[in-house]
Amino acid sequence: MGGSEKPELIINGKRLDGRTSDQLRDIKIEVGAVRNAVGSSYIEWGNNKILAAVYGPKEALPKHVQDPEKAIIKCRYQMSPFSSLEDHGRTGPNRRSTEISKVTKEVFQNVVLLEQFPGSEIDLYIDVLQADGGTRAAGITAAAVALAASGIPMTDIPFAVSVGKVGSELILDMNKIEDNYSDADMPVAISPRTGEMLLLQMDGNLTIEEVNRGVQMIKKAGEAISKIQRNALKVSYERILEKYKK
Amino acid sequence: MQRIVVPGEKIINTPVRIENTISDKNGTYACILGYFDDERKSLIPLEGLWQPRPGDTVIGVVEEDKGTMYIININAPYKGLALSKFIDTELSSGDMVAASVKQLEKGGTVMLLRPTRLNGGKLMSVSPSRVPRIIGKGNSMLKQITDGTGTTIVIGLNGVIWLKGGKIDLATNAILKIVEEAHTTGLTERIKVLLSGNKVQ
Repeated sequence: MGGSEKPELIINGKRLDGRTSDQLRDIKIEVGAVRNAVGSSYIEWGNNKILAAVYGPKEALPKHVQDPEKAIIKCRYQMSPFSSLEDHGRTGPNRRSTEISKVTKEVFQNVVLLEQFPGSEIDLYIDVLQADGGTRAAGITAAAVALAASGIPMTDIPFAVSVGKVGSELILDMNKIEDNYSDADMPVAISPRTGEMLLLQMDGNLTIEEVNRGVQMIKKAGEAISKIQRNALKVSYERILEKYKK
Repeated sequence: MQRIVVPGEKIINTPVRIENTISDKNGTYACILGYFDDERKSLIPLEGLWQPRPGDTVIGVVEEDKGTMYIININAPYKGLALSKFIDTELSSGDMVAASVKQLEKGGTVMLLRPTRLNGGKLMSVSPSRVPRIIGKGNSMLKQITDGTGTTIVIGLNGVIWLKGGKIDLATNAILKIVEEAHTTGLTERIKVLLSGNKVQ
């Protein structure tokens, strides 16, 4: 994107919302937002507001999609019609949501222990209620918490965050305006236990050195995100545990 | 000491084989949300589904009478099947039955043995991960509830519980309290208080 008049995105070393180049937005995660789901979470990542819900494992239907060796994951990412200033007037799949659903599914195929549920399916719903850039990263972060809360065995809780380039500077966790006028955008999902990269997409141009530096920034920021994810999962159980501790 | 662990969290610094964990050369990591006991070296799930194992008692509802077999809903990713030639009583759809698992078959069905009809009473559904706590060590918790309320209770490992007679509301409350506080210690004492407190009234 980007027009002929490009706004200045970094002034005196500070970004438009007052953050430094490697600062995350405020993240808040809540577990159990959807009562009927097996596991669910609600994330507020800056101005992003996203619900994630997990259903299953249940019998995979239609029957021809079943895998007798392992479970399959079905993922649906969707932006609400009212979520953004841009036009998302139609519900239902479009080119962008189909792509994001696919990459999200592939992230979780690599961490969930699918062999334990042969012939079944796990449904993953990510609904964006309010969007302000970086919703695919926030959606993956929320869905990981929802999956862990549902009790489905997985090797790790992955996180995702994007890094972008403005002029010659790399910035972490871009918001909507920065995303629209930046020179490059690279969302990355990482499994923090092993450091494996589960998602790597890039829009724009980055040099090899910049990609390496961006991944380092993401890994550093990931420690903070992982901590928030783990606390969100533990907090309700520890509250009850605390109540009866003598 | 017990502590809550999440998937991917390191629980022991050496590779050890424990249920619900994975290990590499650097250590052992949890695979599920659960509570880990350092002394007993066990990781018990806090959430999760029931996986059928031979010999498990389950409670289900008959969904369909196919003539040669019954299809039974057992609150799991799999369908329950019972062959009618081994059953003395006639079952019809809607009946509550208790049965034991013969085996999990390929194609996502569970073969059930000896389904017996449960007459009257009510069903309640809890998370299957809480069932071991409701039963207790050597049936101790279940016996405590049965003695305190006079209710007949049958527990299915698939998370379905059948209750009949006695102080049924008190028994339900006790079970719901166990479900909520399953990961705490001293629960038996608190259930005793709950049961005796209402007895006086």
